[in-house]
Amino acid sequence: MKRDMKAWKADLIASKTKRAMPILSFPCVSLMDITVAQLTSDPELQARGMKLVTDRAPTAAAVSMMDLSVEAEAFGATAHFMPGEVPTVKEALVTTPEEAVALQVPAVGAGRTGKYVEAIRQACQLITDRPVLAGVIGPYSLAGRLMGVSDIMIQCYDEPEAVHTVLQKATDFLAAYVLAYKAAGAHGVVIAEPLAGLLSPILAEEFSEPYVRQMAQAAKSDDFLVIYHNCGNNTPVMMDSILRTGCDGYHFGDAVDLSRLVGRVPKDLLVMGNVSPSAQFLSGTPESIRENTLQVMAACSPGHPNFVISSGCDIPPMSPWDNIDAFFKAVDEYNAS
Amino acid sequence: MIPLLTEISENLQSGKAKIVKELVQQALDAGIPVKQILDEGLLSGMNIIGKKFKNNEVFVPEVLVAARAMNHGVAVLKPHLVDANVQAIGRVCIGTVQGDLHDIGKNLVKMMMEGKGIEVIDLGTDVPPATFIDTAREQGCQIICLSALLTTTMGMMKEVVDAAEKAGLRDQVKIMVGGAPVTDAFCEQIGADAYTPDAASAADRAVELLSAS
Repeated sequence: MKRDMKAWKADLIASKTKRAMPILSFPCVSLMDITVAQLTSDPELQARGMKLVTDRAPTAAAVSMMDLSVEAEAFGATAHFMPGEVPTVKEALVTTPEEAVALQVPAVGAGRTGKYVEAIRQACQLITDRPVLAGVIGPYSLAGRLMGVSDIMIQCYDEPEAVHTVLQKATDFLAAYVLAYKAAGAHGVVIAEPLAGLLSPILAEEFSEPYVRQMAQAAKSDDFLVIYHNCGNNTPVMMDSILRTGCDGYHFGDAVDLSRLVGRVPKDLLVMGNVSPSAQFLSGTPESIRENTLQVMAACSPGHPNFVISSGCDIPPMSPWDNIDAFFKAVDEYNAS
Repeated sequence: MIPLLTEISENLQSGKAKIVKELVQQALDAGIPVKQILDEGLLSGMNIIGKKFKNNEVFVPEVLVAARAMNHGVAVLKPHLVDANVQAIGRVCIGTVQGDLHDIGKNLVKMMMEGKGIEVIDLGTDVPPATFIDTAREQGCQIICLSALLTTTMGMMKEVVDAAEKAGLRDQVKIMVGGAPVTDAFCEQIGADAYTPDAASAADRAVELLSAS
């Protein structure tokens, strides 16, 4: 079902009460008594998991699993599965400029990407009371997985052409992947570009911004929102560059003081964050997460109707639901006050 | 300060590995003492990078290229360091704990510590507790540095602390912990000796611990 997402965004901003939109999907494993490995390889389980989350939690939108290994795996990288954790990629596929040129752009559907698109198609049939957003990795973060997260930073200086070659291939794939999500019924996408948050502003401007902008331009429409996520600690010094990506919303992590960023995001765009996924959702207590959520809302809400309370990043799979429930209760408490 | 050493320091800060290598050789040829080249050229440059990183004036990529330049310079000096009896200020082993494959934080700490003149044995990622203990004992490390990015693997840090205790090493080795989910409270809770929130602080703390030992 198509939705007018521009109107949804405008309603969210105009709403007198704050709605929460955490990146909440993986904790469905405890509701379903399944493993993360089972979830990340089965579209039906993913769709059911997203539905269970929406049944339990009053999220403004449903968000799919942020499995940032899946795109690199489509290029041929090996995903490593650790118990209770989202899979990750370790070994680099591209170590020389020649390998960058030879790197093949996979078709959407390669690896597990077809399963993730199918999960969104099924989730959109199950979840009809709110938008369903897909999650994908950002271009620099994908290129980092393909070239090695440390090596790509050195190559930005030594072999910038090779990095741009890999970035363009990553972007070509990601843009097609996002369009596949759109065709499957998604109402938007969250682009996770955390690795760019480690770069200097000048490098981020050259190696992340233009490629994210390409993805946003390829996908954005009245019925499809593009949200940019970066939980790196350098986002405050690269805000101008981040905003030039042309997304509909910006989502930041708890490594930054969000109250100092909200005012820099134009009022017609969403700015989201940043209750700590690890310190609060996973390792906190219902009381500590309540306190932290109220603090973030008090610091960011006044004068910023476009602020949306959220987690600072993807909420870890093993986060206790008592903490997640306490987060939503704290949002209600803030609204009631 | 000898101008050539200033030049080494400045080129190191810009990450110019090839030039640093050439300048270090020039300094040796000019008869500048090895320790002075190391301290006032290479380590001085890396110290400045460390401070700038702490102050958000440079970022991870700039630290990586500077560290690489330092390593190129050290490689030229290495044969002469033994002859001149120049020794590291201490020896540590470092690794990402078992179950965790993330290594960028660990690599940054390693570079910053090397920039302080500490010898660092890098055990890599996914390192079992026994490997930390065996390395510390066999190589005479004064500090074990543990890194974790994942909340599910930070529990392994306590296993390393317990294993050090069991091996009778706890009085001889300090244990430092770090990584995104790690906190001071967690460090205290598991009985480790030091937590630092960033790589530059970790290197500073290691120097303090080594000086005190």
